[in-house]
Amino acid sequence: MAEKMMVVDDARVVRVSLGKIMQSLGFEVIACEDGQQAMQAILENPDVRLIMLDWHMPVMNGYDFLVRLREMPEHSSSPLVVMVTTEASMPSMMKALSAGADEYIMKPFDASLIKSKLDLLGVAYKE
Amino acid sequence: MQTPQFEFMRDFLLQQSGLVVEESKMYLLRTRLQPLLKEHSIATLNELADRLKKDRNSRLARQVVDAMTTNETLFFRDQYPFDALRDVMLPQCASSPVRIWSAASSTGQEAYSIAMIAAEALGGKGKRVEIAGTDISDQALTKAAGGTYTQMEVQRGMPARLLIKYFEQDGSNWRLKPEIRNMVRFGPANLVSPTLSSEMRGKGPFDIVFCRNVLIYFNVGARLQVIDNLAACMKDSGYLVTGAAEIPKGNKSRWEAVHFGNRNLWRLVAR
Repeated sequence: MAEKMMVVDDARVVRVSLGKIMQSLGFEVIACEDGQQAMQAILENPDVRLIMLDWHMPVMNGYDFLVRLREMPEHSSSPLVVMVTTEASMPSMMKALSAGADEYIMKPFDASLIKSKLDLLGVAYKE
Repeated sequence: MQTPQFEFMRDFLLQQSGLVVEESKMYLLRTRLQPLLKEHSIATLNELADRLKKDRNSRLARQVVDAMTTNETLFFRDQYPFDALRDVMLPQCASSPVRIWSAASSTGQEAYSIAMIAAEALGGKGKRVEIAGTDISDQALTKAAGGTYTQMEVQRGMPARLLIKYFEQDGSNWRLKPEIRNMVRFGPANLVSPTLSSEMRGKGPFDIVFCRNVLIYFNVGARLQVIDNLAACMKDSGYLVTGAAEIPKGNKSRWEAVHFGNRNLWRLVAR
């Protein structure tokens, strides 16, 4: 059965493009538009393996979502979280990793970059 | 492309770099050389071949070799060689400095990945590591020596943790910190050259050699020459890391396979 993953981004174009890449790699994709939707989705799908998370979003941003997620005992280390963001500075990267992100992608991305990060995380995918 | 011009290009590349371009791979010439044709206002590959015939040592000729031999690469490519470096090869090297050679270093990602692994594994243990990176392409060597990569390049294969630790941000680019850059020296080398071992004297002999995804581009004769050359530059019991599909043939008793997971490293056990 396909593993579940979440794409959380307020930009539809990113949800679609990243969602397509992840589907082509064999994942079942749950798309959310902000951190609050993502919080609801993780409660309904506690078996999600991986979250690709934007930083700047309305309602609840990605960083705040990450902090809250990691505060939940059952999610202190899973699912894996990859920030996918235009925040391309060293301090932002350090802040996200300190808050419990497992990897970090600075936009723009392509399929090979996504795959190289999945390799680093030891997440299997369909070639 | 017409046959005589193709045959000239094929022979030119074989002589200059050992690269084998079969007729079925003619598309490689088209895709790799297109930017050069544009730069020099050359209309066709036939015309390019005619220009090279007149002067095989021109800047254009160097650029053709560069374009055909430079492969896009990424940090920590394939991962397992770097795990093997950390877990098997480095712990077994008693000498200091440990000398490591990235024999086809392209734009430097492999050599710097080795440097980062060594810094992580040996930091503060007093053992030094010296890394030589060589390539046939001047353009690749210049980029490698600069140690500066675009945002996209620096992310491919690179754990964010190591990016934070070993790079500095330089506008939209990322530059390796001096502590890593200074572990690596880059210089030109043609792996099929019969005089390679004397050219590499002073940098080696090497405890560990990375020569990955290179042998596949050579014909059998050139491949054996490269393997002899590498062995001549290595210490006894040194490790050779090839690409997953590459086996150092030739003198079979010379190499002992060392299993690492489901992959092999090669140990030089006889001359």
